[in-house]
Amino acid sequence: MIPAETYLLLSAAIFCIGLFGILTRRNALIFLMSVELMLNAANINLVAFSLQHGNLTGQVFSLFTMALAAAEVAIGIGIILVLYRNFTDVDVTKATTMRW
Amino acid sequence: MVALPDWMALAPALSLALASLVLLLADSVDPDTTNTGLLTGISVLGSLLSFGFAGWFITAGTGMADSTGVALFNNQIVVDQMALFFMAIVGSVTTLVVLASYDYVAEHSYQAEFFALVLLSATGMSLLSAANSLATAFVALELVSLPSYALVAFLKENKGSVEAGLKYFLIGAVSSAVLAYGISLVYAATGVLRFDGVATAISSGTVQTIVDGSVQAQAGDPAVPMAILGVGILMIIGGVAFKTASVPFHFWAPEAYEGAPAPISAFLSSASKAAGFVLAFRAFAVAFPIGDLLAAGGAINWVMAFQILAIATMFIGNFAAATQETVKRMLAYSSVGHAGYVLIGLAAVSGSGEGLSLSMSAGMSHLLVYGFMNTGAFLFIALAEYWGVGRRFEDYNGLGKEAPVACAAMTVFLFSLAGLPIGGGFFSKFYLFQATLNVSAWSLAAALIINSALSLFYYSRVVKAMWIEEPTGSRTIESYPMGLYTAVVGAAIVTVLLLPGFNRVSEIAFQAAQLL
Repeated sequence: MIPAETYLLLSAAIFCIGLFGILTRRNALIFLMSVELMLNAANINLVAFSLQHGNLTGQVFSLFTMALAAAEVAIGIGIILVLYRNFTDVDVTKATTMRW
Repeated sequence: MVALPDWMALAPALSLALASLVLLLADSVDPDTTNTGLLTGISVLGSLLSFGFAGWFITAGTGMADSTGVALFNNQIVVDQMALFFMAIVGSVTTLVVLASYDYVAEHSYQAEFFALVLLSATGMSLLSAANSLATAFVALELVSLPSYALVAFLKENKGSVEAGLKYFLIGAVSSAVLAYGISLVYAATGVLRFDGVATAISSGTVQTIVDGSVQAQAGDPAVPMAILGVGILMIIGGVAFKTASVPFHFWAPEAYEGAPAPISAFLSSASKAAGFVLAFRAFAVAFPIGDLLAAGGAINWVMAFQILAIATMFIGNFAAATQETVKRMLAYSSVGHAGYVLIGLAAVSGSGEGLSLSMSAGMSHLLVYGFMNTGAFLFIALAEYWGVGRRFEDYNGLGKEAPVACAAMTVFLFSLAGLPIGGGFFSKFYLFQATLNVSAWSLAAALIINSALSLFYYSRVVKAMWIEEPTGSRTIESYPMGLYTAVVGAAIVTVLLLPGFNRVSEIAFQAAQLL
C-alpha cells in the first residue's frame, strides 16, 4: 500500500496551489476554480484515510463535500453574474464602492 | 405528560424547514404574489413555532434526564440543553427579522424567495446547534452560509449589495474550504468524525472506529499523529473565526453588514454569529477537551489561541468602530467587538479545562442578550433606511423628536450593548468578567473593561445625535411602518426585561454547559 504520507503531501500541495490561486488571481471564475481545488484537497485526504483506517466514514463524507461544493459554485456563479451586470467585469478587485 | 417520539426533539429546526417549504410552495402556486402579509405571516408563524418548541423543551427538561440529551441518527445529532438554548436564540432572532422584513421587502420582487432563504438559513443554524459530528456540523454550516450569500446580494440592482455579497461569498468559500481541509486532517488523525469519537481518540492515543454506534479501537490501529491533529484543529478555529466574524477572518463583516439589506445584517450579525459559536463551544468542549489534548503531548493549546483571538478581536473591533463615520458600519465593527467578548467563553479556561462550564455559560448568556439588543439596533437602522435618513451620524440629528418611541428603543439597545444597567447587556458582561476572574485571566478582564468603556464613547455618539443635536436639514417622516416598529419595540422590551430575568437565563446556560 502507498504510505499515508504521500497522500498528505499530495493534498497539501493541491491545497496550497488553490490558496495561491486565490491570493494572486483577480478573475472571479478562476477564484471559484481555486476554491474547488482546496475542497478537493480535503476530499483526497478523506478518501485516502478512509482506505487507511478501514472505515467508510471518510468516503461518505467526501460525497457530501462534493455535493456542497457544487451548491456553493451554483450560488457563486449567480453572484458573479450580478457582479458582471453591475460592474461589467468579473474582476474581484473592481468592486470597491465601499472601503475595506 | 405526553411522550413525544424522539425525532420531535428536532421540532425547532423542523418547523423552520417546513415554513420555508410552505413559502416555496406558495411561490410556485402564485409566482408574482405581492401578498407580503401572507408571506410574512407564514415566516413569523414558523419561526415563532421554532422558538416556542425550543422554549417548551427547555422548561420541560428535554435532554436533561440523562446528560447525553436526545441522540438521533446514530448520535450524529444530539438535542441537549445547549442545542435548545441556541435554537431558542435562533428562533427569536428569526422572528424579529422576518417581522421587520415585512415593510422592508414590500416594494421588492422575489419576496417569497427572500423569506424562504431566511428560514432555510435559520434551519441550518438550528441544526448546527445540535450537530454532534464534524460531518453534520459542516453540512449544517453550509446550509447557514449558502442562503446568506444570496441574501446579502439580494438587492441585485444595488452595487453596494452585490459587492457585499461578492466579498462575503469569496471569503466564505475560502473559509469553508479551510474548514473542510481541517476536518479531513482531524479525520486523518483520529479515524472518526463524531465528537465523542474524536475525544476518545485523543485521550486513548489510538485511531478509533465506530462499530455499531459505539466508538472503539481495532487491533493494529496506529497511534494518533498529534501534529496532523494540531493543524486540523487550527484550521477548524479558522473556520469558526469566519462564521463568528472574529479576527483574523473578520474583514468581510463590515462590508457584508453595510451592503446587505439591514434586516439581513441583523440576522447575520446575531443569529449567524450565535450559530458559529455553538459549533465552537460544542466542538472544543466535547471533541477536543483541553486537558486530554495537553496531556497527550500538546498538539495545540486552543485555550491560548482563543485568548489571543479574543483580545485581538475586542481591540480591533472596538477601535475600528470608534473611527467610523456611518452608523451601520460602526454597528458592524461593534459586532466584531462583541464576538471578542463571547470568545472569552472559550478563553477564560485554565490549563486542565477548569472553569469551562462557567465561561461557556457566560458566553452563551451574552449571545442571548446580544441576540435581542444587536438585532434591535440593526432593525432600527432598517427603519432609518426605510425613512431615507442618511447613513452618517449627523443624519440622525434630531431624530428623537420625530420618532421618540423608536429612538428610545435604540437608546436602550445602544446602552445595553455598551454594558450600562439599562438592559441585559450589563449582567451578561458582568458574568463574562466574573468568568475571567474565576481563572485569574487578568489580560482578558482588562481588555473587557477597556473595550466596554471605549464602546460607550461611540455608542453615545448616536444617542447624542438623536436626542441632543438639532436637525441639520429638513426631513419629514411620512409613515410609521408597523412590522419594523413591532420588531424594534419588542426587542427593546425583551432587552429591558432581561435585566431582572438574567438570573434565570444564566442558570439555564450554566446547566446546559455543565451537561455537555
